[in-house]
Amino acid sequence: MTDNIIELRDVTYYYEGSKVPSLDNVSLGIRRGARTVILGANGAGKSTLFYHFNGVAEPAKGTVLFDGQPIKYKRRKLRELRSRIAVVLQNPDDQIFGQTVEADIAYGPSNIDLPKEEVDARVEEALFLTGLTELRDKNTLKLSYGQRKRLALAGALAMRPEVLVLDEPTAGLDPQMAQDFMELAERLHHDGTDVIISTHDVDLAYTWAEDIHVLREGTLVYSGDPDGFYGDDRCVLTSGVMQPSIFAINRGYCAMRGIDEAPRPRTEAQFVSKVSEGPRGMLTIVPVDAGAALQMPEIPDGVRVGVFGTDAKALGRSMGRTPDFMFGGFDACATDCLRGHDSVLLCDRGCLEMVSGKVALLGHFGPGIESRVLRAP
Amino acid sequence: MTDFVLEARDVSYSYSQKQPRPSLDGVSLGIRRGARTAILGANGAGKSTLFYHLNGVYRPKSGTVLYEGEPLDYGKPALRTLRSEVCVVVQNPDEQIFSSTVEEDIAFGLLNAGMERDEIERRIVESLFLVGMEGYRTRPSTQLSYGQRKRIAFAGALALRPKVLILDEPTAGLDPQMSLEVIEMVDQLVESGTSVVISTHDVDLAYTWAEDIHVIRGGRLEYSGSPDGFFSDSARAFSCGLKRPTPSVVDASLRPGSAMRPRTNAQLLASLAPEGAAFGKVTVVPVSDGFDASAASVPEGTPIGICGSRTRRAFASGGLRVDHAFNAVDGCMADAVRGRDSVLFCDEEMVGFARRAGRAVEAFGKGAVM
Repeated sequence: MTDNIIELRDVTYYYEGSKVPSLDNVSLGIRRGARTVILGANGAGKSTLFYHFNGVAEPAKGTVLFDGQPIKYKRRKLRELRSRIAVVLQNPDDQIFGQTVEADIAYGPSNIDLPKEEVDARVEEALFLTGLTELRDKNTLKLSYGQRKRLALAGALAMRPEVLVLDEPTAGLDPQMAQDFMELAERLHHDGTDVIISTHDVDLAYTWAEDIHVLREGTLVYSGDPDGFYGDDRCVLTSGVMQPSIFAINRGYCAMRGIDEAPRPRTEAQFVSKVSEGPRGMLTIVPVDAGAALQMPEIPDGVRVGVFGTDAKALGRSMGRTPDFMFGGFDACATDCLRGHDSVLLCDRGCLEMVSGKVALLGHFGPGIESRVLRAP
Repeated sequence: MTDFVLEARDVSYSYSQKQPRPSLDGVSLGIRRGARTAILGANGAGKSTLFYHLNGVYRPKSGTVLYEGEPLDYGKPALRTLRSEVCVVVQNPDEQIFSSTVEEDIAFGLLNAGMERDEIERRIVESLFLVGMEGYRTRPSTQLSYGQRKRIAFAGALALRPKVLILDEPTAGLDPQMSLEVIEMVDQLVESGTSVVISTHDVDLAYTWAEDIHVIRGGRLEYSGSPDGFFSDSARAFSCGLKRPTPSVVDASLRPGSAMRPRTNAQLLASLAPEGAAFGKVTVVPVSDGFDASAASVPEGTPIGICGSRTRRAFASGGLRVDHAFNAVDGCMADAVRGRDSVLFCDEEMVGFARRAGRAVEAFGKGAVM
């Protein structure tokens, strides 16, 4: 038996006044602990599906289960459900009500009758995770689009949900903000939150997803690992999406060279690890603790520095020598190492395990890179 | 001397006097006639502000904007003429769609430009055809999906047959296939002589598509020139809130020191192909009016690609099975590099475009694809 946190059984749904179902007999399970992506063309039913996860929409037929129990559409039960699952909408303006950043984040937790100290602690944590601490008193009307996106996320995080659903989290964001957002999602997942994302960015989805579910005109056409879907040209074509760039590059390269497509790289660095021989450079990982003085090693000329994690970013901004890679730090540093150059990664202590997992994964594709964690002297 | 259709000379602009720094700060750049131009930069860098200067919505606090070599005239009649020749399509279609039905909406700009009824009729038909929405002519615009509204906003601009078309985030919010279809429409316009400027957050798209890029950072121009000149330095791209495009990163890692970087997946594969590889061939079939897709014959198992609005329509009614329905030119080229023959059906006006793509793949010196 699989352990599903959310499950849909034969769910059919019609929007008011429509005879065409927006979801048509959909059955799927969201695995507990898996990184999940929902794919599909505009209008395929992704958002409608999300509204079933948190009980905003009630199926015309079929059942939705959360944590093994059918969802009950009574007010009190729904309130309880929504303290366990948070949906962050694509457009942040649909979700921001408070006058100041801080007030907006506090809105959700205050509504579920938490003691004031608990609300305050959650607000602090959410501000920190989304990098909004310095903007806490700012009027929400004066925030930029990227800041409003982060605020909507902070509001959801303050509920400390078991499941976080993000509808197009990177739409409208520039590459740097998109990367930051995904790093944060990765960290939350690593720390035990189940994260479900819908996105049109197939490249981003591919680097991240363990399970994908693909919708086409309200029906489910695929559930499973991404490679099973992308390997089926016909299914990809009729689902309104495209193959991720790195999938297509790996496939073409392997056909040319007569080598196995598997293992299939999901990132540029993994592909380079697979198809190139050494020599490799050394990745020096410097742990960063919030507020503590940094034990910075001597950095020789030509060695580039990246950051990974919220504390490391804050530190990077305040350093005399601005790091070369203020976002996507791991991949950028790894790419340097794969080309035979040394590099240095400033990394939140809480992210060390995640980063060493990424280093090990590179080795799974080919001659990976060497790394060492700098210990305090 | 370079031939600029639009030019900004030392343009500065602030929305309010209280701003710590201006939104545009001494920006000078030229938009080359007939070129594919992309404007890049982080959220809030000043891209949209720049666009609104190019069609005279904003007037610089200092500096000059020139169209066809002449400083802009900010008088009402002159601006009206300017905006029928330099069209901006904004990111959010709802800011641009005013009328209740699709046809009224497209007619709006044409009526404003003082056009005759017969001509308006011709242009509505033509522009709806180009965006693949001819079946929606009498539909209320409120009943359209986001992607359809984006296309109608696009059609409204096309109907004016502008000399310069400026598209702010044309693919934002669209699914991957729709994005590629929009880019194909844009390519068709460029082939017919329109100068197109787009802003986008999709660096892979900008890298593949653009001939010239201009990068803005905090209201200042950081770079103007070829995409390669900018993206070859990853730290520089990062400092502008951007990242290096995938083909560029992969190629630089595997062939350090090479002077020429691939800009598409097919070019990347060609650059990484083993010496003496046996390439397949792409057969390009021009599609003109009256083409019958069901009568075309292609050997069993040969991949088929389609490109262009006329071709798309010819194949929509069934007939042959299509393998590359989006980004087909590069898809067919990639097939060829890995040794497979393919057939590319494309609007006759796009044949030159397809051949140039073939030559770009062949430039890596590993074999012929055409």
